[in-house]
Amino acid sequence: MKIYELAKVLRSKNAGPFRTTFDILFDADEPYQRVRDSGVLTKEHIAELYGIRPEDVYGIFFVDAARGIKITIPKPIDMASGDPRCRDLFGAQQHIPLLGIEVP
Amino acid sequence: MKILSTATFGFRIGGDSWERGLSWEPDVIVAQGTSSDGGPTYLGSDAPYAGFMAIKEDLRTIIVSAKKKGIPFILSSGSPAGGNQELERALAAVDEIAKEEDIKLRIAVIPGELDKEYLKQKIRAGAKVRRLIDTDRLPEYLTEEDVDRSKRIVAQMGPEPIMKALDLDVDGVITGRALDVGLYMALPLKKGFDKALAAHLAKTIECSGLISEPQSFEPVFGILRRDHFLVRPTNASAKCTVVSVASHAFYERPDPSREENPGGILDISRAKYEQYDDQTVKVSGSRWIPAPYTLKVEGVSQVGYRTISICGIRDERMISCIDWFLEQARKYTEAKLHPLKPNQDYDLIFRVYGKNGVLGDAEPVKETKSHELGLIIDAVAPEEKVADMACTAAVDFVAHMDYPGRLTTAANVAFTYSPREHRLGPIYVYNIWHLLELDDPCEPFDIQVREFPIRK
Repeated sequence: MKIYELAKVLRSKNAGPFRTTFDILFDADEPYQRVRDSGVLTKEHIAELYGIRPEDVYGIFFVDAARGIKITIPKPIDMASGDPRCRDLFGAQQHIPLLGIEVP
Repeated sequence: MKILSTATFGFRIGGDSWERGLSWEPDVIVAQGTSSDGGPTYLGSDAPYAGFMAIKEDLRTIIVSAKKKGIPFILSSGSPAGGNQELERALAAVDEIAKEEDIKLRIAVIPGELDKEYLKQKIRAGAKVRRLIDTDRLPEYLTEEDVDRSKRIVAQMGPEPIMKALDLDVDGVITGRALDVGLYMALPLKKGFDKALAAHLAKTIECSGLISEPQSFEPVFGILRRDHFLVRPTNASAKCTVVSVASHAFYERPDPSREENPGGILDISRAKYEQYDDQTVKVSGSRWIPAPYTLKVEGVSQVGYRTISICGIRDERMISCIDWFLEQARKYTEAKLHPLKPNQDYDLIFRVYGKNGVLGDAEPVKETKSHELGLIIDAVAPEEKVADMACTAAVDFVAHMDYPGRLTTAANVAFTYSPREHRLGPIYVYNIWHLLELDDPCEPFDIQVREFPIRK
């Protein structure tokens, strides 16, 4: 199953001008735990999707109380929010590569 | 303590949900109105987000309601970057409101711009001004040269100057750039509430109706008690749920359970969220880990000027070879601008919507199936005339040059506007995104008591 079929919210936004953060939120425990325990959300996987190095992924956080997963990555060096080459001022449409993640 | 939370961004607050919030007898109305979300050029050019009329009406609603209730208001304004010019624009609106409503106001005003000389003097005296995040884009420690390069610098004042201002027998406080949670923490801290809970409540209600279901721009209400707090929307048909409230801790933050604040870290990793009634969520268990006091400083430097042209491409023959064609346009432009060097004297950017305009290389769809593409020819250069020249050269090529299978020898693209090129003016980047260590959190801020209507 694709990750977006399990999530209620899958969004991206700036966390300050130099980082993009992704929130994956669920409306029930079962799909949340399924994604959390599947092992598909790794720094290596995220790095591959966004063309960065695994060690540059700032963090992947699982918050059981909120049934939510947060992933934060740096923006490309010449694409901070508002930079001449910036393509997404608020970072609001950067979640698309995550949609294809397959959850066993 | 009861807090009615809204914003001064011009969402046009008011109506039933506003009256309902007021009927719950708040002790204070708090509203945020500054932001760095819109990017550096707002700060560089001191430009407003949007229509100022709407901002004025929100200021009117808040100030008149607070005055009637006899409760203070705490607002940040200067939409959105929080520079002094935008703050003064808001204060001019307050003056008009005072006259139109026939009310007298005594307001503590705290501008959010940081004086360059002050910052340089701090650096000379050995103050550490460390970058907030590790990126090669920012110097690790701020230098006097970085300060000089900045067009404008603001600081996110914490709750402390506002607490001080509240002692000045005023109707309310209006700040320039400020830390959103600081606005909300000021009165609770003055009244001796737990810092962790005050900060967590602040973090929860600072974006008003974004914590409710359905999400809205309407106000929310917070009730702070000794060992927990409650939050609920003022809209009767909305509700706060454990998920809607807990998930807001994710919003626009790098880490959902820890947040660095001036003087400490808010740790909500052990926070407990409970459904209190249909509309209301109860929160407890937040912790505060003290740290040295730091003030977040934001500054921008100008990198150049931008000139763009917008057009549409409908012919599938051109769409099928768009990458190749734009590469030819780039080569043509470089030849025309020689000896100026690309990526040094100017930057030419093609934004191809319908292909990869949003995601660039991270776009998973490699072959576009669009029957129509939107193209922005975007030139940036330290000199405006060079940006103009690069944009025009690329426009000339795109409009008139050949590609395989071309039928359209009169012109290739549909320009949206006359003139074809648009000067977007100076553009900026963040060059300061640093933390200034301070012994006295109020030191950089000038608290001014002003009376409205202004006597001429």
